[in-house]
Parts: sequence; C-alpha cells; structure tokens
Amino acid sequence: MNIRPIFSSLRKHRIPTTLIVLEIALACAVLCNAVFMIGQRIGDIRLPNAIDQAGISVVTVQGTDPDHARDVIARNLATLRAIPGVQAVALMNTVPLSQNGWNTGFTTDPATKGFDDKYVNVAEYLITSGGDKALGLHLFRGRFFHADEYAAGTLGTSFMPTGHAAVITRSFAARMWPGHSALGKVLYMGDTYSYTVVGIVDNVLRPNRNGGDARSFSHSVFLPVAPVESAMNDYIVRSAPVDRDRVLRASIDKLSKLEPAAVVKGRTFSDIRNAYFADTRSMAWMLVLVCAVMIAVTAFGIVGLSSFWVGQRRRQIGIRRAVGATRGHILRYFQTENFLISSLGVALGMILAYGANLYLMQHYEMARMPWYFLPIGALTLWLIGQFSVLGPALRASNVPPVVATRSV
Amino acid sequence: MLKMTHLSKVYRTEVVETYALRDFNIDVKEGEFVAVTGPSGSGKTTFLTIAGLLETFTGGEYLLDGTDVSGLNDNARSKIRNEKIGFIFQAFNLIPDLNVHDNVEVPLRYRGMKAAERKQRIMDALERVGLASRAKHYPAELSGGQQQRVAIARALAGSPRLLLADEPTGNLDTQMARSVLELLEDIHREGATIVMVTHDPELAARAQRNVHIIDGQEVDLAEEPRFHADPSAAGSMA
Ligand SMILES: Nc1ncnc2c1ncn2[C@@H]1O[C@H](COP(=O)(O)OP(=O)(O)O)[C@@H](O)[C@H]1O
Ligand SMILES: [Mg+2]
Repeated sequence: MNIRPIFSSLRKHRIPTTLIVLEIALACAVLCNAVFMIGQRIGDIRLPNAIDQAGISVVTVQGTDPDHARDVIARNLATLRAIPGVQAVALMNTVPLSQNGWNTGFTTDPATKGFDDKYVNVAEYLITSGGDKALGLHLFRGRFFHADEYAAGTLGTSFMPTGHAAVITRSFAARMWPGHSALGKVLYMGDTYSYTVVGIVDNVLRPNRNGGDARSFSHSVFLPVAPVESAMNDYIVRSAPVDRDRVLRASIDKLSKLEPAAVVKGRTFSDIRNAYFADTRSMAWMLVLVCAVMIAVTAFGIVGLSSFWVGQRRRQIGIRRAVGATRGHILRYFQTENFLISSLGVALGMILAYGANLYLMQHYEMARMPWYFLPIGALTLWLIGQFSVLGPALRASNVPPVVATRSV
Repeated sequence: MLKMTHLSKVYRTEVVETYALRDFNIDVKEGEFVAVTGPSGSGKTTFLTIAGLLETFTGGEYLLDGTDVSGLNDNARSKIRNEKIGFIFQAFNLIPDLNVHDNVEVPLRYRGMKAAERKQRIMDALERVGLASRAKHYPAELSGGQQQRVAIARALAGSPRLLLADEPTGNLDTQMARSVLELLEDIHREGATIVMVTHDPELAARAQRNVHIIDGQEVDLAEEPRFHADPSAAGSMA
C-alpha cells in the first residue's frame, strides 16, 4: 500500500491521531516496564534456596532467662529430638526469608580499615551442631564444621562469634573470589575477626533481600556456635514433609510446657516462605492486571477510533471502490493506516519505556531493563493494533461501491 | 460497447419490491455520446450504476465491451472499473482529506502504476481541465465547478474508454455547466464513449443521441406522443 497519501490524510485528523498515538506510546511504556517487573518478581520467587523447604519447621522461643540459657537450650534441643518423626534439630539466630535480618560485611583483605566499599554485605547465619542436617544444606565443596569448631564459637558481647571457620554459599564465594576456589581462603572483618572457608554450599537465600540485586540475595555465610547463647531463638526442627505439621504442634506444645514463662511460637518454613513472597506475588498479579487493562484500553481505543473512521469515511470508501479499489485495497488501507499510527506510538513508547526504567532505577531500586524488552514491546503493540483494526477494516472492505452514488 | 437486453433491477425491502429497471434495453456503440433523460426516480442512476459495475442486476443480460459481466467476481469488476470506466458524479465525490493531485492519483495507484507515469498523467489531466496550478489545494478550497473539473481529471487520468456521468452539471450554475459540457465534448471528440444522465434538456440536446427512461423502461419519444405533452420536454427535444 502507498504510505504517503495515507499519511497526508492522517494529518487532516490530527487530534484523534495524536490521542491514539499517545495511548499506544503509554501502553508500550507501561507494558515493557510492567512485564519486566513481573519477570523480576517471578525470578525472585524462583530463586533457588537449597534447604529442605518442605520438611523444616521453625520454633521460636523468646524470654529464656539469659543466666540459664545453656541449660534451657540443651534441654529444649533434647526434648525436640525426642519427638517421634524428628530427623534433626539445631538452633539458629535467624532463618532464610524470615525478614529477621542479620547482616554483616567481609573483605578478603585484612588491611582494610573501617567499613568501606571493600566490604561485601552478607547474611550471617549462626548454627549449632547438626545445623547442616537440620537445614538440609547441600555441600558443594569442602566440609561442614567439626565438633571443636562448634565448641569454639561464642558470641560474647559482639554479634560475631569467636572461632575461625565458615561455610559460605556459592554465590558469595563467587563474589569474593571470582574465578578462584574459595576453599581455604579467609574472610576478614577488620583485624578482629577472621574466618577460614572450610565448605561451600549451594545457594541459600538471606532472611530478606536487603535492597540488593537478585544475585546478592543468595550471599550467605554460616558460622558455627556452641548452643549457649540467649540471642539464638530459632529452633530448626526437620522431619519428613508428611510428619511436619504434627511435629510442629508437638514441638510448640512441649517447649511451652517446659518453659511456661517464655513465648513459644512456631511456623513451618513453607509458611515463612509464603509470607515472605505474599507481597511479591500480589504485586506481580497487580502488574498483570495493569498490563491487561492497558492492553484492553489500547485495543478498545483502536477499535473505537477505527470504527468511527470507517463510519465517517463510508462514502469515501465507496468512491475508492467505484474508481477501482478492490476489497483487499480497502482492507490494506486501514491496516496500513493502523501500522503507521502504531509505529509512531511505538517509537515514542520505546523512548518512554526507557525513560521510565531509568526513573525507576534512580528512585526505586529497579534493575536495568534489558534492551530486548523494547523491540518485543513494540512488536506486541503492533500486533495488538493489527488485531484490533481487523474487524473495522473488514467492515470497511465490505462497503459496496454503489455508496458513491447513493448516499448523497 | 455497452449493451443491455431485457435487463431488470429489483430493490427488495421488507415491505416493498421496487422495479428500478424492467425489461430495459439499450445499445451504446463505441464512440457514441448518449444523453439519458427522464423524470426523477425513473431509474437513470440505477442504469448508470449497473452500467458502471457498481451494482449487480436482477435479470437479463449486460455485455460490456462484448463481455458478459454477470459472471465476473468482485476483483475482476474492480479491475474493469479501474481500467475501462471513468465516473463523474453529481456530487463530485472527491476525497476531502486529499489534495487535488492526490485525488486524481487515487485510481492510478489502484492500477499499480509507476510513480513517474502517474505524475505525468496527473499533470496532463489537470492541465486538460485547467487546474494544474491548483494541484496542492484541497477540495474544500475550490468552487463547485472546479471540483467537478478535478473529478473529470480523475476520470480522464486513467484514459477510460467509457465515461459515465450522473447529472454532472446538476450542482453547477449555467456558466459552469456549459464549461463542463464543453470539456466532455472535447473528450468525446478524442474517441471516448460517453453516457451522461441529465435533467437539463439543453445539455441533452447537445448529445448525439437521447435515451429517455420512464418507470425503469427505455422509451422512444417519437412513438410515445403522450410525453410530448410535457412542454419542457417538447421544447428541448424538437
Ligand atoms: N437502494 C435502493 N433501495 C430501494 N429502492 C431504491 C434504491 N435505489 C433506488 N431505488 C428506487 O429505484 C427507483 C429508481 O431510482 P434511481 O435510479 O435513483 O432514479 P433516478 O436516478 O432516475 O432519479 C426509485 O424508485 C428509487 O426509489
Ligand atoms: Mg439519479
């Protein structure tokens, strides 16, 4: 079809053309960014978390008398272990996705002074003996802690344990020593604390994302401690998934009876995880809704304007048919016209989409949208346009040529 | 060139059947200039729309340039309209969104003609109707007579063998009507076949032959003296 006369004809209808171009541009910008954000959220939900997510329950005990912590904890661990169906038990300071963040920073260089940017932020998991089994960690390289390493770890007045062994996640290992094996390397915090990496495990998520990107969400370090600390509240109780709910009820029940003054609460890890991602999920669904509304509004806008134009140009269509246009010519006229309008909208929309992404990056910790979202968004809107115009265009192509003489 | 025998056209609505044409016969030879007259509602426009393949007919036979058109599909009919026939309408029927140049270009584009040839033909046709200087104007900026001349240029640009005009001067004052008619006479002299519907006896008189339609049928005025009773008709047909 011939573009120039269609273009000059459009210039005679500037206001509706401009409005629909803007609508398409807006849709393009919103769709690109919304789909990108949905993708990011689904990406978060799908991030691997190499612990036994289906078998773990977490029982939290608060209000233990600090002076008797050692005895109370030992008794609690023994009680939990005795519950039928329990496979492993350990005590931790916090658990993945619990929103109870313990963050610290390490550097590979002991000479680094103060908290400068050579420190890499990481989630700090303190675990007692058997913690690897209680969590169901997957060892990738090296080993888990020995008994003496657990025994050597106490917190004292700091939140960093004494002791010198660490197990870290693969993502953190790759971040600290890219291209090298992390085994045997040392993590430093100033010149006070240092931990030698004895094992590397598959990625375990942090208690919360802590404002980092998707990769740093898996930066975790496990440090061994002796079960003597009142700052450690989370009992990890692992069982087969079928036993889990019963085990959890029994755990809460028994610990409450042992220590009536303490507050005992428990949740399955599945619940913890669902609670963590509930916002992410509802945000993703809201964005899906935004996309659907945007597509519908754009499609209806195009259908509406094209239908209006077909009605308005009925006579002109008849004239074109009278002087020799085939039905195909008329159909293509409206399709080409829509393609031109969509192209203008999409060109503007890609700029808008890019700008919106930049804005969100600056103000809302958004990641950079990959470039290919723009052409895919453009293509989508072209297709929506062609699809929407098809009905009105077919109606136009059915206007009989005799209209040229009759409807005066 | 154009031969209809026992042709009929029926318009059906829920309540009535109107015979716009019944047992209609006409034979227009190549190169003729025929004027079609008749009272309002007698079927003149219907005849012209069928002749120009804008509409199908109900019964009878129509040979255009020796071809039976009843068997042609929509695309073939479009092609014939585009290549063989030029239309001139009472209401000019220019496309308001396009300027004069682009209006004349419309049928040429549907023919798939190369840009250079289109340009040449458009300029020639506009030259011919004396509007070459108005190529960039829009229809709304022109007088009625000028618009009709653009419409004639549009019809001419495709060098049609058959020119169909439905009351081409009906919306024009006498002065403009005359100049349009002179243009048609020029075109006829160059070999085109012209069929023109008109109300105006003076214009009809300048055609080579008159065909009178009454109630959807062709009537020979000489054998139907009752129509001579109409004083206006009598004056002009003499
Ligand atoms: N689309 C139509 N539907 C129904 N009747 C029609 C239609 N077009 C024309 N007619 C009728 O056919 C007859 C002939 O109309 P027309 O050919 O327009 O006459 P003319 O051009 O001589 O004034 C009239 O009675 C008119 O009402
Ligand atoms: Mg008429």
